[in-house]
Amino acid sequence: MSLKLRDLIRKVRACKTAAEERAVIAKESAMIRTAIREEQEHYRHRNVAKLLFMHMLGYPTHFGQLECLKLIASPHFPEKRIGYLGMMLLLSEEADVLMLSTNSLKNDMNSKNKFIAGLSLCTIGNLATADMSRDLAPEVDKHLKGGMPYLRKKANLAMARCLTKCPDMVEDFVDRVVTLLKDKNHGVLITVVQLMTQVLLIDSRNAEEEGEDPFETDCRKAFLRLVPMLVKMLRNLLGSGYSPEYDVGGISDPFLQVQLLTLLRLLGTQNETASEEMNDVLAQVATNTESSKNAGNAILYECVQTIMGIESEDGLRVLAVNILGRFLLNRDNNIRYVALNTLSRCIVEQQYTGDGNVPTESANTASAALQKHRQTVVDCLKDPDISIRQRALELIYYMVNQGNVESLAAELLNYLVLCPREHRRDICTRIFRVVEKFSPDDRWRVDTLITMLTIAGREASRDVQSATVIYISRSPPDIHAYATHKLVKAIRDDDGSQRGLLVVGVWCIGEYGDLLLNPYSYTPSVRNNDATTSAPVSITFMALDAVSVVEAIKTIIDRHSCPEYVKERALTSFAKLSDRFADKGDVAALDMLAKLIKKHEVSHSLELQLRSCEYAALINASKGIKTIITKPAAEEEDLFGLADNGGDSGESVSASVINAAKEALSRMPVVDLKVLRKKQEDAFGSGTMPSGNYPVEASAPASGGGDLLDLNDMFGGEAPASAPAPAQNGSSGGGGEAPKSDLDLLSDIFAATPSSAPVNAASTGGGGGFDIFSTPASQSTPAPANPIDLFGSPPAMSMPTPASQNSNPLDIFGAPPPVQSQPAAMMATPNRRQHHRRYDSKDAEYRRRSYLCFHPDEKNRCRRCTATHQEISDYLVLFLPCYPKLMACGNQEHWMVLGGKRTPILDVKLNTKWLGYDLLTLTL
Amino acid sequence: MPISFLLMVNKQGQTRLSSYYEWISMVERSALESEIIRKCLSRSELQCSFVEYRGYKVVYRRYASLFFIVGSRLSKDGNDNPENELGMLEFIHNLVETMDKWAGSICELDIMYQLEQVHFLLDEMVMNGYIVETNKMNVLRPLDLMERENQKSESMYR
Repeated sequence: MSLKLRDLIRKVRACKTAAEERAVIAKESAMIRTAIREEQEHYRHRNVAKLLFMHMLGYPTHFGQLECLKLIASPHFPEKRIGYLGMMLLLSEEADVLMLSTNSLKNDMNSKNKFIAGLSLCTIGNLATADMSRDLAPEVDKHLKGGMPYLRKKANLAMARCLTKCPDMVEDFVDRVVTLLKDKNHGVLITVVQLMTQVLLIDSRNAEEEGEDPFETDCRKAFLRLVPMLVKMLRNLLGSGYSPEYDVGGISDPFLQVQLLTLLRLLGTQNETASEEMNDVLAQVATNTESSKNAGNAILYECVQTIMGIESEDGLRVLAVNILGRFLLNRDNNIRYVALNTLSRCIVEQQYTGDGNVPTESANTASAALQKHRQTVVDCLKDPDISIRQRALELIYYMVNQGNVESLAAELLNYLVLCPREHRRDICTRIFRVVEKFSPDDRWRVDTLITMLTIAGREASRDVQSATVIYISRSPPDIHAYATHKLVKAIRDDDGSQRGLLVVGVWCIGEYGDLLLNPYSYTPSVRNNDATTSAPVSITFMALDAVSVVEAIKTIIDRHSCPEYVKERALTSFAKLSDRFADKGDVAALDMLAKLIKKHEVSHSLELQLRSCEYAALINASKGIKTIITKPAAEEEDLFGLADNGGDSGESVSASVINAAKEALSRMPVVDLKVLRKKQEDAFGSGTMPSGNYPVEASAPASGGGDLLDLNDMFGGEAPASAPAPAQNGSSGGGGEAPKSDLDLLSDIFAATPSSAPVNAASTGGGGGFDIFSTPASQSTPAPANPIDLFGSPPAMSMPTPASQNSNPLDIFGAPPPVQSQPAAMMATPNRRQHHRRYDSKDAEYRRRSYLCFHPDEKNRCRRCTATHQEISDYLVLFLPCYPKLMACGNQEHWMVLGGKRTPILDVKLNTKWLGYDLLTLTL
Repeated sequence: MPISFLLMVNKQGQTRLSSYYEWISMVERSALESEIIRKCLSRSELQCSFVEYRGYKVVYRRYASLFFIVGSRLSKDGNDNPENELGMLEFIHNLVETMDKWAGSICELDIMYQLEQVHFLLDEMVMNGYIVETNKMNVLRPLDLMERENQKSESMYR
């Protein structure tokens, strides 16, 4: 025999583990199932009670559903009662068995016993389906007119359920409520008000579905006639004084008041007349309700929402905002929470309605009232409760306008210091948007952005960093100097962790380094209002000498923690500085710069190495020095013998090259304008993108496709086609001395731009490196003598294969790749040590260029064959200690991580043998 | 917006009573319950009593070792009938007072061992998520009468 309910509960409570509990329940359910099967009528009622308990614990109880139905058919009250309870808890409205209960429900509703009828009504209210509603609504309706308040209130809500399920019945029903509203019983009143609210919602939904105006339906019109009655009811509640029955802390029936206010809100929305009828009573509620208790605040809160929701008078709106302002001062967190929530909702609605057309007078006054509570809102940022802080932040963000942007932005910056790390990024973006939208002048904007980066440069998103650079570059020259001075100071004070600050700072120093050599001072003009408390203090920066400017950046990149992308930018900055300082006559600084640039020629980072070599070449070119010459006469064999010719430096280059190089140096941009613009459009909406006088714009058309505004394009676009490719010696002068074992293989494949870009290769050890700039593809005649134009006719690559020149690094210049198939070159070399540098830039501009190289120790290995792989955009170069294995396991089973995505390798083809390497083409 | 669910949970996070006014499958229920309970329990006294979770506005209140948690759906567009959180808090308090009056001083065990009784009480106060009655006498009197009715035909369970 199964347990008693009490014993079951005791047993479950005694369980120490979840498994134990499951066992107890499983045993008991088995017992109950047996009892059900054997029709043990006597225990039915106890079993259902146990099922309720098990259901609460989350165990399956579906087998008990039919038992409930049997119980409600029983003539005994206790059985009926537990049966209905079981039904309400165990059955869903989707349960098929529910239909079977319709008859019992109907019978019970007409029972003489009011409790049985009440149970039936309650069940209908909780469970009725559409079909049942249709069948039972007339019976429910009888109770609406019936004599017992106990049943009337239940019938109200049962009716609400029926109408929700069968919206088409709404129309027949409207006139019934008038009599109900006159009821004395509060239970009936609160339910009928909720019923009306429900009916209104259903009705407007109906109207919307049929394409009618939801504010012009018959039902709404009928209800609008009842507004005076509702108002009177509310007024009675206010004026009734102490009524012990429904008193909560000195307020008579707050629940009914709240429901009434909700209903009034629905009725007053977009209806002038109704709103006018309510104005008085709303004012009365707003002024007379006592706010020391929660119940009173609940009413006030609802009242404020109603005032904001309907077409109320200005005075009333101001009153409402002031109530919320008072809420903000309350010590109870809950009250502050709802106040902040409601305020932001109001502002959003106002902005929404005020959008496009002229904002109404009322909106203005209400928002003016809101501004008075600004300080209170700001104080909420200091609350210990994070949800309050978040709400306040949200609200402040909405509150910002031209007039208060300076003080609010200062508050936001203060909060930025205090807030948890994970929120900083978001707040930075928000501050940026606020600054962008409302900034009074350039100086303030630049100032704020720099301060923000000083605080949260680590967390600020890349967009914000780039945009800061753009704003600085767009502002007048005076601000350039100011910003750069300020940034130098900030960078010197920083410990190197605020990366965003470093990125912006390094760029600015590079771009406007020459301005740092002059002292700077600025005296703010006295504002016409006295809002600024401090007297104007002139800001003065001392002039720096060139060496200390360079030192400032050097300190950054010398830090161990300095991320690579900062180093990359620092290199660009050095290159620019060497141009800026060129005519200053500071030899020490220029030497230092040249050293710093060359320092990375042997870097393990390909990007750094590339930049280093390119910039060095560029600077040399601008001085008129050609570092290395590829002799036009050199045939293919000579290509690999170039290291021997490494000494041939010092030849002069033509004036046009010098000019081109100088121009490139002076215009060198760091921000990818297009990428940024696209991002900005996505993130901030169009029209906010700074453009026009941005210096990059000028060079963009010159560089062919112009989508990669990096050095590459400038070379491709601006270098004269006929210019001999400047090549440059690598780190060590003596080429060819490198032992075989110390071999470097670097391959660069160019794919991204129509104009081919320079590629760099260099060796780490003794191997000579050289650099060759290919002829731009857009030019019609590639120099015939240029032997390095290996990839001239893709995809089939014909590779020269000299026998012995293993020690030379190679450069491969690609022509534009075939668009559809994405071949990947693969170098395989079984028995040699390869140097691999991880190239890992997040910049879109770099990702489109494909630099690839590998190291056997690299962790990213192909799962199947342990091939090392490196992920870069369209191309993939692998280098495999186990090339045969790859071929063997080939095809779809093989995959690489490419652009963060798993990409299967469809085909592997041996393309050619070259220098003892296998060059493979992968089809992805 | 009507109440979607009402939970009574002890400090250990065990549900002592649950009542749902919209259908949620059992699997979802237990996931939702444990998640919400975890959230509510982890909040400090200083924090406000409102949590938004998975499209529900959750209002909770703690009485000694018992948490009363009420959830209601957030409306999709956010403005058509926003929940009155303070009113909900007040209602929870009203419910607790009523239960107190009914059982002397209500405690976890009262709820556990008289689960169906508490449900009956709740049914007198809330129906389909709407408030039916807030007057303690009006709630308890019918309960009392029904209990007497129950006594007439002898009680078979427990």
